[in-house]
Amino acid sequence: MKAAILTDTTKCIGCSECVLACKKINHLKEDVPRRWDSSDGLSARNWTSVIGEPDDKFVRKQCRHCLEPACVSACPVGAMHKTELGPVIYNSSKCIGCRYCMMACPFGIPRYEWSSVVPYVRKCILCYDTRLKYGRQPACTEACPTKATIFGDRDELLAEAHQRIRNNPGKYHNRVWGEHEVGGTSVLYISDIDLSFLTYGEHFGDKPLPQTTRVAMEAVPFTFVGMGMAMTGLYWIISRRMKLQAEQAGEKPEGKAGPEE
Amino acid sequence: MERVARLKLILWTFVGLAAAVATARFLFGLGATTHLSDGTPWGLWVGFDVMGGVALAAGGFVVTATVYIFKLEKYHSIVRPAVLTAFLGYIAVVVGLLFDLGLPWHIWHMMIYWNPHSPLFEVGWCVMLYLTVLTMEFFPVPAEDFSALARVRRFLIKFRIPLVVAGIALSTLHQSSLGSLFLIMPYRLFPLWYSPILPVLFFVSAVGLGLMMVIVESHFTAYLFRRKPETHLMGPLGVAARWVLILYLALRFGDLAVRGQLHYLAGGQWQVKLFWFEIAVMLIIPLVLLFTPQFRKHSNWQWATAAIATSGIVLNRIDVGGLADLSRGNRLYLPEWTEIVVSLGIVAAATLVFLFMIEHFKVWEQRPADPDADPRKLPEFNKVGFTWLGTPVIAGRVKYSLAFVIAAAIGFFFMGNPRGASQGVEPTPVHRARGDVVYLNTSLRGQNNGQSQPVGGAEGVLYLDGDLTGWGVTFYHQKEIERNGGKKSCVLCHHMNMPHDRDSGCYQCHRDMYLPTDAFRHDWHASPSGANLACIECHAKGYPRTSAHVKPCVDCHKHLVPAGATIKIKTYTAPSYVNAMHQLCIGCHAKVAMKENKPEVARCVECHKGKLNYSDAENLLYRRRALAGRLVVLPPAKVSEAK
Repeated sequence: MKAAILTDTTKCIGCSECVLACKKINHLKEDVPRRWDSSDGLSARNWTSVIGEPDDKFVRKQCRHCLEPACVSACPVGAMHKTELGPVIYNSSKCIGCRYCMMACPFGIPRYEWSSVVPYVRKCILCYDTRLKYGRQPACTEACPTKATIFGDRDELLAEAHQRIRNNPGKYHNRVWGEHEVGGTSVLYISDIDLSFLTYGEHFGDKPLPQTTRVAMEAVPFTFVGMGMAMTGLYWIISRRMKLQAEQAGEKPEGKAGPEE
Repeated sequence: MERVARLKLILWTFVGLAAAVATARFLFGLGATTHLSDGTPWGLWVGFDVMGGVALAAGGFVVTATVYIFKLEKYHSIVRPAVLTAFLGYIAVVVGLLFDLGLPWHIWHMMIYWNPHSPLFEVGWCVMLYLTVLTMEFFPVPAEDFSALARVRRFLIKFRIPLVVAGIALSTLHQSSLGSLFLIMPYRLFPLWYSPILPVLFFVSAVGLGLMMVIVESHFTAYLFRRKPETHLMGPLGVAARWVLILYLALRFGDLAVRGQLHYLAGGQWQVKLFWFEIAVMLIIPLVLLFTPQFRKHSNWQWATAAIATSGIVLNRIDVGGLADLSRGNRLYLPEWTEIVVSLGIVAAATLVFLFMIEHFKVWEQRPADPDADPRKLPEFNKVGFTWLGTPVIAGRVKYSLAFVIAAAIGFFFMGNPRGASQGVEPTPVHRARGDVVYLNTSLRGQNNGQSQPVGGAEGVLYLDGDLTGWGVTFYHQKEIERNGGKKSCVLCHHMNMPHDRDSGCYQCHRDMYLPTDAFRHDWHASPSGANLACIECHAKGYPRTSAHVKPCVDCHKHLVPAGATIKIKTYTAPSYVNAMHQLCIGCHAKVAMKENKPEVARCVECHKGKLNYSDAENLLYRRRALAGRLVVLPPAKVSEAK
């Protein structure tokens, strides 16, 4: 099973029960507006938020748990980890605080505890430690009174999403957000409004982002060996040529090249 | 004053300022000292200290390659300063990184927890290894002066060529990998900077920067120590840099052309202007100067060219590292002065160590003679310096220490309250709840026919948005009174009355929206123009004058706490307005929800129904000013229907 969440924004009434449930299960303290906050309501103490859009539309924002997460690929110490079950979890004891994951995330999800002297990265972990591991669904989906956000297997939820779109012609945008973007995400959306504000920027493709650095990283050993060999070779050729020149000039070669200064 | 001494004084000032900021950084965290945010998690410390620093230190591998691999022996005299610059540059990078990392004491984790997919992991390892290589490359220089280290020195010199080769290979890797860092975030970089060949671009520009930095460093130290500038050596370096810059130019624009992004060049965004500025400073101006022979051969022009190109390439690093992406998120990232001061302080400290090394070890063929440092020099008095501080060396130490201490003090002064800043909460004064309170003595008797008719019929309804933003809660004061049993229910909420008051509003003590405030006015009580009380009237004699040994307020203010108040006051630190309201309301609502099995009563949306534009007629004019740009309308009519 690949744990996933499907959020149907047409069913959301904006009650924020999911936010409260999340706070409760993760022992998050009350949130106050701080100067480093972003406008979407997510913060180190709010791992999910409900964004109010015009005309009483509500969109729940949370970590998308990408199938090929950029944060996992970016983290230099492997503190971010994609579990077998699906959630992307965070190991604070490994973290060094470089915040590369925050830079890399295409959805701008991870938050930082800027106010703390011992700051950690904070984001939704799909209740992995507290519930998912024990076969229970996340607190947010359980709390939702209108079943606007539901938990299930990714393939089943995808089928369900497509079915809902088929069964209600004209109601939804003909698109499941999260099906293909950056290689697919575990958190899926269907909606009657355009949800592209949940993602960053214009060059957002279906290609998983880790592929972009993979090319460069695969070249690393070859560059290292290649550069080393090229330099050694050059050194050898040049010293030899100099030695020959010195011999041709009829002088005795002056000791060995190098160390004397 | 000698040039060196004057420079050192300035450098020590920066180090002092940075030391003050460093204290705040490590005691109170990143929030207190940076302007970083969730939208822009990387700022100046990554852009300049790490990315710029690594690039600036590229001179080391370029010059060692020139001398030891390409055997251009005439450059031998610049190897040692170049390696020293690189060595100190990398140390500065690591120090800068320690400032920027949230958990700097975990920096060694990279050694044991591996993630080979991460470019940052690769950069970390390369910097670590290259710093080791640089240490081994530079160590023979100071070791010369200590005969005990002769064996180690000989050993290291024997391995010089492998070390140089390793250094070049490692530099190639991490100079380019700093570019690879940004490959994963195509959406963050403006298209004029994002490119799949960023690693190549970074490497090529690092080579150019390395050459330029050697020129800057050589001429600068020549100026400082009044040596003859190495103009004849720097000229050919400039020529080499010229070809590197041309290659870079071709790569940069060729890449834009291949990817079909050239149309951005004519765009009007400010990033495009920044791009052209960067290209001009980094490539066009230096290239023009380098292609003009008379400029190329003149030492001052060499210096100017190199300085311009250096700042251009560092600007490129800062641009990629975040400058071109300032407005990501909902707020603009501009470095706080504390961030700039730390960056300058680290550079200053590295420069001081550099000067120390030059003065005390054989970095140059000849140690510089500091004319000021002659211990037998006689005291000189001028109009300013009346005091003989000792020999120049001693006097220097006195002056530098003074500069350091004063600068640190200034730094502490301007930082104000870093503990408060670390919370990132702006003080938000709370205003009286809007709307009309129907006073008990009139409304309960049903006599509210007086002069002040409430607007819109919203009688006994309060709108609680303490910061007047419109995001608040409609509180049916009258209904709550009736529901909870009339007059005796007041004490359910009103748990404290200000002296000489009978129904103090919440806002009178809970004075800040998000911060706890002190409900006790100590200064007023002690002031002659206030209560004019002697200390011992409250603080017990013979005990420390703290809140632990003090007379409770109710001893004097008999009516402070109304009889039967449900909320017991334990401390006079009032929680923030938001917390106070939430604790007060949610407690009862949760109980009712449980008792009557109505979960919706305790839901957030039950009270928070979105933004409400509210105003009463009385203060309309005043509030229009206070709410500049916000719509002000009358409360909805359905409030009165509900009643």
